[in-house]
Amino acid sequence: MTHVLSLLVVIPLAGLIPLFLFRRDERAVKQVAITTTAVELAVSLWMLSQFHVGEAGFQLTERVDWLPSLGITYFLGVDGISVLLVPMTTLLTFISVLYSSGGAIKTRVTEFMASFLLLEIGMVGVFIALDLFLFYVFFELMLLPMYLIIGVWGGPRRIYSTLKFVLFTLAGSLLMLVGIVAVYLASADASGARTLSLPDLIEARGRFSADFQFWVFLAFALAFAIKMPMVPFHTWLPDAHVEAPTAGSVVLAGVLLKAGGYGFLRFALPLFPFGVQAWLPLLILLSVVAIVYGAIVSAVQKDLKKLVAYSSVAHMGFVTLGIFVLNLQGGVGAVLQMLNHGFVTGALFLFVGIQYEKTHRRQIADLGGLANMWPLYTTFFGVFVLASLGLPGLNGFVGEFLVLLGTFRFSGVPLGGLFWGPLAATGVILAAVYLLWMFQRVMYGPVREAYKLLPDMTPLEVACAVPLLAMTVILGVAPQPFISIIEPSLDQVVRLATDPSFTVLAAR
Amino acid sequence: MNDVAAVYPEILVTVVAVVVLMADATLERRLAALLLPVITIAGLVAALASVFYVVPAGQYFRGFVTIDAFTSFFRAVFILLAIFAVAVSPAYLARRAVPPGEFYAIILFSTVGAMTIALSADLITLFIGLETMTIPIYVLAGIQRSDRFANEAALKYFLLGAFSSALLLYGFAWLYGITKSTDFATITGVLAAQGVANGQTIVALGLVTVGLGFKAAIVPFHQWTPDAYDGAPTPATAFMSVGPKAAAFAAILRVLVGAMGPLGVDWGAVLAILAAVTMTAGNVVALAQTNVKRMLAYSSIAHTGYILAAVAASKAGASASAAVLFYVFAYGLMNLGAFACLLYFDLEGTRGATLEDLNGFGRREPAGALALFIFLISLTGIPPTIGFVAKFVVIQPVLDAGLAWLAVVIALNAVLAAFYYLRVVVRMYMYDPSEKVPRLANTGALSAGLTVASLAVLVLGILPNSLYEWARQAALPLVR
Repeated sequence: MTHVLSLLVVIPLAGLIPLFLFRRDERAVKQVAITTTAVELAVSLWMLSQFHVGEAGFQLTERVDWLPSLGITYFLGVDGISVLLVPMTTLLTFISVLYSSGGAIKTRVTEFMASFLLLEIGMVGVFIALDLFLFYVFFELMLLPMYLIIGVWGGPRRIYSTLKFVLFTLAGSLLMLVGIVAVYLASADASGARTLSLPDLIEARGRFSADFQFWVFLAFALAFAIKMPMVPFHTWLPDAHVEAPTAGSVVLAGVLLKAGGYGFLRFALPLFPFGVQAWLPLLILLSVVAIVYGAIVSAVQKDLKKLVAYSSVAHMGFVTLGIFVLNLQGGVGAVLQMLNHGFVTGALFLFVGIQYEKTHRRQIADLGGLANMWPLYTTFFGVFVLASLGLPGLNGFVGEFLVLLGTFRFSGVPLGGLFWGPLAATGVILAAVYLLWMFQRVMYGPVREAYKLLPDMTPLEVACAVPLLAMTVILGVAPQPFISIIEPSLDQVVRLATDPSFTVLAAR
Repeated sequence: MNDVAAVYPEILVTVVAVVVLMADATLERRLAALLLPVITIAGLVAALASVFYVVPAGQYFRGFVTIDAFTSFFRAVFILLAIFAVAVSPAYLARRAVPPGEFYAIILFSTVGAMTIALSADLITLFIGLETMTIPIYVLAGIQRSDRFANEAALKYFLLGAFSSALLLYGFAWLYGITKSTDFATITGVLAAQGVANGQTIVALGLVTVGLGFKAAIVPFHQWTPDAYDGAPTPATAFMSVGPKAAAFAAILRVLVGAMGPLGVDWGAVLAILAAVTMTAGNVVALAQTNVKRMLAYSSIAHTGYILAAVAASKAGASASAAVLFYVFAYGLMNLGAFACLLYFDLEGTRGATLEDLNGFGRREPAGALALFIFLISLTGIPPTIGFVAKFVVIQPVLDAGLAWLAVVIALNAVLAAFYYLRVVVRMYMYDPSEKVPRLANTGALSAGLTVASLAVLVLGILPNSLYEWARQAALPLVR
């Protein structure tokens, strides 16, 4: 019996205490926040080292009765799908806090850091919760800190954006709550005992009728589709990203969006195989639309941050496409794409932020010629741009390639994989168009007078970028260790989703 | 003697009320202002302890009084709400020159009435309890005699309250005519035998529903609520919005779910529609409010709808009544807290703060703002707060009773509600204080009370099991 997962939940909470005690001293507050997130990162890596590669089931599980009257448990565990997302989350949080302590956040630093620590609890919790009730609590816990982070430390239209973000997300998640309660009631066995813990629900899913699954899957899918976001629920995303402070954007894109994709893989697919089948054609269509539409809209953006935001919509389209082709390649590709997007888009938002801090301009037309003054910045930014457009050798390629491979082999929807695959592949080409065109306009051309004296990256900024760069290269050059972590668990999810009679004893 | 022991808590609260009135008359004014709240709270705490003083469950006073887990639950809820309401009031009363002795005594008398509803086993006991609870509240609404809004509030409340009492009493009379009894157990037996066989039963059921609907502020019988809540002094509003509502639901559970339970199968659909209309109307109108006090008044109507949804689902069994009890407790805590947070705003008149007045509240009074933030997210139903657990336990019987559409309406309503609750948070944290913001009252005691209450909202949101278990036990006597 190990408690490392509970430790991950407790550390940020414990960090709030010294944060509160030193609340008047800005320097101490920053140090506390950095230390807490660093410890959290270290513990999450330790957790990863304890994970047995090659096993499909849940590991490091902890289970305690929480609401025994209702049969609800405090149930944590990781498998191949979630075990990589946790260190990604802690790394991005650490980088966000580190970057923010460098001067990007000037007012109410204590409240900002407290929000970030609370946010981290929610983000980590979402990936390790195995009881739907607990999952929901963490899922919602991510919402309020982000609401404050955008609303208090955001740009000029922050209030409109943050309310839009919260209301969209809440609309989805409250309908999911109804779905969760419906699942809870339907889980009753012969003795009337009910449960919300995932392994038990998988055993009980034979009792979920096809009609029931149709509606409940819809309730879950709405919540996750809004969070991802899938087209047509994506409209909150550009607004939220444009107004959010840099650190907020990094974790919003890097982690919060993943909660949607993860939710599909963890709960919606294994629990509702009939529901998945019923909605599959629409979901595939929306994924491909997101890829193409996201890319085209990115191309015409005038605002640098908005461009990256729309590119997220396209990249998330690859994630959902990979999930819903319901085969191993597609699924592994989707999980890798989630990781890649976390590191790369997180980095892109970071670099847009670094640039904005110096020039105070985000309109592409106002920028230009930065490459001549900032060699270091140009190198880093260039690598992340190339990774984002899927250059072989960097991480973006691996995920997208696997997703496309899975799509080509897929035949479960009208027109088949040979129609949808090439269509999705155009997204990769379009990504190259808009990203390289953006890079050219922002970095090359004549040096602007106004920017001549601006310095290149500071050591702190480099320190923030290096881990992300390392992950980008490692995942691109040697994806196999990661794939072998993901594969067994994903295989099981795919089998659960495609074969309604398949049940497993998933916990150990 | 055993009969008297059964109502010790009520006797104790009455005695405290009398002591408070006498102390108010004899003590010097400054000393009175200091001592009265202490006496009141001490008396209420003693009464709370006596609730758990073991009288065996059963019928007392020849079947007029019943003591069971349900009774204890509601007694405790009413006393806790009264304690909270008294604890946050003193500074406001002193500022506005509201006579403190009368204020506390009124709250105590009203609490006795509410407790009487909880222990009633007979239509007559229930009606006496209802009136004993309501009449002091009319006075409370108009306690600031020189304020014309308070006068309007009191008069409106009184007229509609009297009207609804008459309707209710008329319904009781029909019920007596049908069943030849005022005793709940007999009524249940007769109704179970005959069902909704004839027109008379429907008339009785309709009149009782309308009468209790007025008391609980169910749409379309809610018209008095916003004006009464808005016009009354804020600490009174805080108490009015929770005490009488909890009592009204105690009465609804005793009469509609308990005594008239056999008719619930047919009546549930009507209540479900009323619930949907109530929550939607409350939320939609609350959206349009710019005055926070009035907004909270309308939002309390919306919460009535959520509670009523659980009542409508009573064919799901004990889990439905347990949901009502849990939600009533949660609602009492968070709504009283939210109203009490408005006590920081020392505004001329009594009509509470506008949204602009809240600008920058988060910076000016961090503890108070944090408390209000917690109450508001709890009212929205976002974890980890008691309000979220309450929503969860309400949706459960609603779905179980086959009312999936109502569950979806609840979820969508929560989004509507999030919009206006979070708008307050926006004002507190995302705007800078403007120049003409009102002076804040210097109220250490208020902050302390609110901190305790907001911590309770969080702790019971994270560890709700014992409270839910208690509510479930308390709901069992209703399920026969």
